[in-house]
Formats: sequence, structure tokens, C-alpha cells
Amino acid sequence: MKALRIALAQGTLLPDTRLALEAAGLATDALADGGRRLLVPSTDVDYVLARPSDVPTHVAHGAADLGIVGKDVLLETDADVLELVDLGYGHCRFVVAAPTGSVDRSLDEYRHLGSLEVATKYPRVAERHFQGRGMQVEIIKLGGSVELAPQVGLADWIVDLVSTGRTLRENSLSIVEEIATCTARLIANRVSYARDRERIAALAAKLETWAAR
Amino acid sequence: MKGALPRGFRDILPTEARELHAIERTLMNAFAQYGYVPLEPPTVEFAESAVTVDERRTVRFLDRDGRLLALRPDVTTAVARVVAQRYRQADATLRLAYFTPIFREEASMHGSEREYDQAGVELVGDPTLRADAEVIALLADALARCGLLAADIDIGHVGFVDGFLADLPAEARAAASAAARSGDLVGTVSLAREAGMTASRISALQRGLRHRSADLAAARGDAPASSLRALETLEALRPLLEAAGAGGAVRFDLGYIPALPYYTGVVFQVTVPGLGFPIATGGRYDSLLAKFGADRAATGFGIAIPHLHQALVAGGWRAPAELPLLVLLPDDRDGVATLRVAAALRGSGIAVAIGDVAEAAGQDIRRARVIDETHLEYEGVVRAVEAVIAVLRSGAPR
Repeated sequence: MKALRIALAQGTLLPDTRLALEAAGLATDALADGGRRLLVPSTDVDYVLARPSDVPTHVAHGAADLGIVGKDVLLETDADVLELVDLGYGHCRFVVAAPTGSVDRSLDEYRHLGSLEVATKYPRVAERHFQGRGMQVEIIKLGGSVELAPQVGLADWIVDLVSTGRTLRENSLSIVEEIATCTARLIANRVSYARDRERIAALAAKLETWAAR
Repeated sequence: MKGALPRGFRDILPTEARELHAIERTLMNAFAQYGYVPLEPPTVEFAESAVTVDERRTVRFLDRDGRLLALRPDVTTAVARVVAQRYRQADATLRLAYFTPIFREEASMHGSEREYDQAGVELVGDPTLRADAEVIALLADALARCGLLAADIDIGHVGFVDGFLADLPAEARAAASAAARSGDLVGTVSLAREAGMTASRISALQRGLRHRSADLAAARGDAPASSLRALETLEALRPLLEAAGAGGAVRFDLGYIPALPYYTGVVFQVTVPGLGFPIATGGRYDSLLAKFGADRAATGFGIAIPHLHQALVAGGWRAPAELPLLVLLPDDRDGVATLRVAAALRGSGIAVAIGDVAEAAGQDIRRARVIDETHLEYEGVVRAVEAVIAVLRSGAPR
């Protein structure tokens, strides 16, 4: 039988992902050597190491059967995949943040000017959120250092991903509201989930038990 | 840029076009054998008529009357309109088949086409389970005739998950159901839990979502009454599928939840190994036609032809062989002899092209030199035209 192929988000999730997979009975030693191989054969499964934002694409197209990636990435990429298990780790929040003490002033400006400028690395999440709120905003897409935008007058507010909130505090920003809480998810390609149900459901059940420990 | 095409559109060159035509003939012949007659919908609809496709995924433009139009995003909409307008009073069943391009807007850089062929059938006016069995058996038969051998048909029922969600408050039910359709099974379960579903129901729901088997017994557990009715419907479908000759490839998959919200009963998808997208999907949609003013039961399916073609080619499939194409190399100065020979050959059913061809398009090409009005040099031997016809017809090796 063909080995299941699992796309893993490289970066901060990877250590916990290895713990989860080990707990579900999969060897992950092959991921340990710090090598540059991106397609890593292991016992029973093959791993694909990908940028987090590429993991849903690999899975949606069936290049990987399964993936482990943050809900934040799933919300932003909007890929057509199945979300099977909430793995519980990699906890972070999408928030709207504004310069501390400026929320009333910017809302007053909003009344007069009819629009707010919001800088973010996550334009889809930001757009959907403010549409749901019925607020008109101009989204300014940045590649990084979004916290800088309000300080230099590039935007009124930001939408960003925070885990501890320290970066926000250090840049004199406060949370206006929370958009979503995100954790790592086990995702599956729709066809793989149909055709390889036994193996995938067994793995999902083990990961779920581990996540609920 | 001159010569470029809009993103997601492309030329279908002769080799591929011949193969697609072969698939089209095979499918439409199969559909006709079950009594389905062809429907050819217009290419353009009013944008607001599209009901089964998210409006952001329709290819839209304004016409000179200022009306917003859309390139046909599916055929179901056209079928619904035709039934409501032209067959409103009909009591008998209507069996319609199509093979036609559809148009979908796709985000750029996603490797997706905006125009592709879809084939399918719609069976209108028959609410029975026999009708569900008929379209599933037809789908299995049609794909097998195309040469697709490794396909699995997964059959589910939207009533199974709906039954679990039915007792939740309306808002939570809508959110949990939308999450299930979008593939967010984590969200479905957590919304149900937050809305007060009992722990034993939740574990029964989770067990069901993972259930894919020819046997449904294990999915019963603590399922609510209407979910059990969905399971009974599937159980009753099994002998009908066997009787219709489609028992073999069938599995029940309670975790199969179509993305579109309009399904009301039995649903199904066809998958093959090694392809990340389903080849065909379908099911019963008894409430859709009412939106167009014709409250009639309906079931049907659509086959994504690019995916079917991809799966066939991956399995080594080639368009079925026809009689070879004979290329005549003209040797006479005025061309009279060549044209006479070509006419005689065509009169005997041989396909003939004069002068060497640039595009073989996967055809079996044979070459012959014209000697005079009654003779050809074929395979290094000068023969009478009748002799060459006999050789070509017999399919003898060149």
C-alpha cells in the first residue's frame, strides 16, 4: 500500500507536531537531522516539509494526503481541505489592535472620514472580519513588521497574529478585539479522506486522544 | 500581449480534442441508453439566475442593456429554468443529458482553469429511491464504458449529519452545517458541543463522520431518529444498486458532505487513486427546482471531464482506434489523378488527406504515393486502388 504523505508546516509548530506524531505511533526521527531534504521518507509515512502557507495548497491538490498546519493559515488561505482534528498546540489569536489609548479617537475619525486604514499580513482574515462588523476599512497588505504601521502613520489599526501579546505592548499597541483563536489542525485532502479512510481515521483518532490528554 | 489568452482559458489542440470527442461520444451514448435526451443550454445567463455557484465564482460582465450577465457556471441552473418554464405541467419524468463547457472564476495562480467541460444528467420528477439507484448505476456504467476501471463510488446521505444538528438552536445549526459543508469538521463538532449537544451524541456524530464501509451497522450507535432514517434509506438503496448492476464499486461514506447546500438526500462522489479531486459528484436535490417555480423532485450528477480525462490518460488510455488516415503524396503535375483517387477512396469509407500532414493528432497515419488514376504505391509496392482499400479496411499491419 502506498505510504500516506503528510505535509508539515516548518517553523514554530514543528517540535510539537513531532510530539503529536510520535504519540500517534509514527516515527519522526527522519525529521530530526536538520537536513535540507524537503521530502522525507519515514516508516509508514512520507513527510513533506513546507512553508506553513503552502501546506493547505499541497493538501487541496492531493500532493499530500494529510497536513498539519495552524488554523490561522487555514483562515487566510481558504483552501478546500477537510479539517479533521484540533491538535490544541500552537495557540495564537487573530486580533485587531490600535495604538494604546487611541481607539476613541480613531472611531471618531471613522465617523468623520468614513473609513479606517488597517495594515495586516492577513488581508483575507481582516477583510472578512470588518465586513462582518459592517465597518468600511482600507486594507493595507504588508509583508512583515505590521506593528510599525500605526506608529509611522501608515495605518490606523492593525490585524495581526499574537501569542503572548508582548510585541504589541512593546510597540504601544492594545487589543481592540479578538477575531479568532487558532491552534494546529490535522487537515486532509477530500479524496484521500474518502479513499484512505481507515488509515486516516485511525491516525485522527489517535491524535484526538493525544490532544485531549 | 498579442497571441496571449486570458488566464484560465486555453486552446485545446487536436490530439486532446480528439480524445475529448471520444469521451463525449461514449458518455452521450451511455446516457442515451438510459433514455436521457440532450439539452444544450445557452452560454450566457443572467448573473442572478446562478443558484448553485457562489456569485464570486461566476465569470460576469455587463451587456449593452446594462444587465449583469454570467457565463454559464453550471448546467443545473439551465435545467431548473427549462423545467420550470417549459415542462411546468408535465407529470412524467424528464431525463436530460449534457456535455458542455462551464465557466468558473478562480483565484489567479491556483493552477485552475476557468473553462472546462462538464457532462452529466438530471432526472426530474421521480422522488423514488429507484431513481437514485438509476443515476448512480448510469454513472458507474458510463465511466466504465470510457475505460475508467479503478473508480470507487462513495455514497452518503445529507440527512445523516442534518439529523444530528436538527435539535440545535437555529443559528448554531446553520453555522455547524455550513462548517460541515466547507470541510471544517472540527468546527462542526465544536459548534455542536457549544450549542449543548450531549457527549454521547457528539461521539456518535464523530464516529459517523469517519464511517466509510459497505456496512452501516457500526454507525447506528446513539444516532437521532432522522439520522437513522437516512441510514435506512442507504440500506434500502443497496439491493437496488446491486439489481442495477452497480453493486461492486459502492461504499457508504457518511463523512461525504458536498460543498453545495442544495442537496436533500442521497449524495455521491467518484474518486480514483492518485487524483486529489473527485471525478464526478451528484445527488438528490428535491427543493432546488422550487426556487424557479417548479416544485419537482430531482437527482443527477456532473462529471468533471478534465479530471476524468486526466485519470484515463494516467492509466495509459488512448482514444479508441478508428480506420487509419491515408495521406496521399501527389506526384502528378495537375492534381487531377490525385483528386480522383482521393474521391474513390473516400467513397469507400477511407479517410484521406492530400499532402503530408503537420498534425497527426494521435491518428494512425498511412502514406501512399499516387501513380495514376487507378494505382498507388503503398508500402513500397504499386497496387490497384481497390487493393489498397482492402488492406486498409482489413486493418492489416502496414
